[in-house]
Amino acid sequence: MVSSNGDAKAAIRGWLQENVTGGRDVANDEPLIDNGVMTSLQTVELVVFLEDTFEIVVEDEEFDEENFGSVEAIARLVESKAT
Amino acid sequence: MRPRPEFTLHDLLYNTVARDPHHTAVVDGDAKYTYEDLERQSASLGAALAEAGVGRGDRVGVYLEKSWEAIVAMLAASRIGAAYVNVNPLFKAPQVEYLAGDCDIKVMIGDTQKLEELQPKTVQTAFYKGAKPEGPAAGSYVDVAEALAGEGLKEDTNVSESDLGTILYTSGSTGMPKGVSTSQRNVVAGAQIVSTYLENTPEDRILSALPLNFDAGMSQFTTSLRVGATLYLLRSRLPGDLLKALRRHEITSVTGVPPLWALLIRGARSIRENPLTHLRYLANTGGRIPQANLDELRDLLEPAGTRIFLMYGLTEAFRSTYLAPEEIHRSSPEQGNCIGKAIPNTEIMVITKEGKEAAPGEPGELVHRGPTVAMGYWGNEEATRKAYRPNPLAPPELLDVERVVYSGDTVERDAEGYLYFLGREDAMIKNQGYRLSPEEVENLLLGSGLVHEACAFGVENPAVGQDVIAVISLRNGSEEGAVDRVREYAINNGPPYMIPKEIVLRDVLPKTGSGKIDRKGISSAYSNG
Repeated sequence: MVSSNGDAKAAIRGWLQENVTGGRDVANDEPLIDNGVMTSLQTVELVVFLEDTFEIVVEDEEFDEENFGSVEAIARLVESKAT
Repeated sequence: MRPRPEFTLHDLLYNTVARDPHHTAVVDGDAKYTYEDLERQSASLGAALAEAGVGRGDRVGVYLEKSWEAIVAMLAASRIGAAYVNVNPLFKAPQVEYLAGDCDIKVMIGDTQKLEELQPKTVQTAFYKGAKPEGPAAGSYVDVAEALAGEGLKEDTNVSESDLGTILYTSGSTGMPKGVSTSQRNVVAGAQIVSTYLENTPEDRILSALPLNFDAGMSQFTTSLRVGATLYLLRSRLPGDLLKALRRHEITSVTGVPPLWALLIRGARSIRENPLTHLRYLANTGGRIPQANLDELRDLLEPAGTRIFLMYGLTEAFRSTYLAPEEIHRSSPEQGNCIGKAIPNTEIMVITKEGKEAAPGEPGELVHRGPTVAMGYWGNEEATRKAYRPNPLAPPELLDVERVVYSGDTVERDAEGYLYFLGREDAMIKNQGYRLSPEEVENLLLGSGLVHEACAFGVENPAVGQDVIAVISLRNGSEEGAVDRVREYAINNGPPYMIPKEIVLRDVLPKTGSGKIDRKGISSAYSNG
């Protein structure tokens, strides 16, 4: 289990490194969707990971570019749910 | 004003403007544009393109994120007799440079950020959206915003239905992407045929979720234009944005590829609570929807009145068949992958290896005859002769006057005339609705400079069509972290659907008797673990 306070960013970056970027670390504010770092299917896998790791539920309407545009944005969503 | 006969894309615009100039044509984010705006701004951009030296038959590239400007650009090029070439916005510089060279793009209309990535002098002139680009990607630059606001054309060029309308780049089973040269007649016939069987009307609110460089994505624009409907541009492919767009705009019509429906289904709970009552139809193309997903889609959408069309098309002939919603039960695990019957004004033949019409239940190649059969592959006579051949069933008195398209897909027809897709024999990879040739993936990996030999192939995965897998050997033996560096190079230099899901390292790649890399052997060895 990863605790949510502050560790969310590291966990998300770790997942991206392992599953998307082939080892490259991603900056917290790097756009993930606009320049095609992640495909839409990878974002689905990421949501499954977030839901399992942080024991949260991402609502259908929350699963959008605003919330998934960067590591920062995703971490904000996760932290808003874990408190 | 009397309606014009429908010969060219601009005729479709002309008639729609004449009927209802103030109807909303395009919604891009919070901005709404009418058909009159489309008429005026395409005339202005057309004049600016002509000013930049674009003439009849020249190619104009459109390398923009899906946007109002991308829509205007297609009409602007068309009305001065030039051909537009929509470039996949996911493409990175190497793919764009290949394409610009292949069909000799004269002017590239692009987003500044994208243009700045290109090699010096990739094109003579670039029209930019955004701040003025830094760097020498083009010899000279024109601001799109200024061009759209400029003076319009004095008079329209005399464009014929036989003129080249657009080049649609698509991958085949070998080599680099090929440009399917599509005439004005092909484009207009496609719009007539598709808007007929989907029964589009001016009241339709059509969600554009597919990229415009994809034939079915472009078709949504041309059908919408023809009937005077409203097109809503969606760039995001995340389920939340898709759901919100469907609801907020009360969308009546959506076309997409199987992975999009997998995302839509993710919103099942929300759809059950609040059904999509405005959605008149959903049309699928670009591959088969996994049966479990199709069942769930039907369960979610049909009670609210949505009809589901299963379409089959190849870029070489735009669209070919569809399975009507009433017949959707014919596509099932028991009966197979039913792709329905020919689209209107089109004949689909099933031709055996001997060149004869196949009997019911006998497999053969799907061959398409009709007004959407394109002109051929740009600059590739050999490939054109292979795919575009004389009609095998023409009477002897009319031999070799009409070209039909050989699809490369094996199908069979049942006793009632329904067509079933059986498969392909070649190595073409289908990933997330995109076609890819193994060489494109291999060339991308070799471009890293780290790879000695590469072999790419597709492995069946119902969720995405096929996964891209690559087996490579390295130039300098097995270096620490080299596979990760190859992957990173690929991500930075290729679109996401071209990145192998798995890169397997080998010391040497097995060869065939003739010394070529044994793709079949490597692929089956991988699949058998």
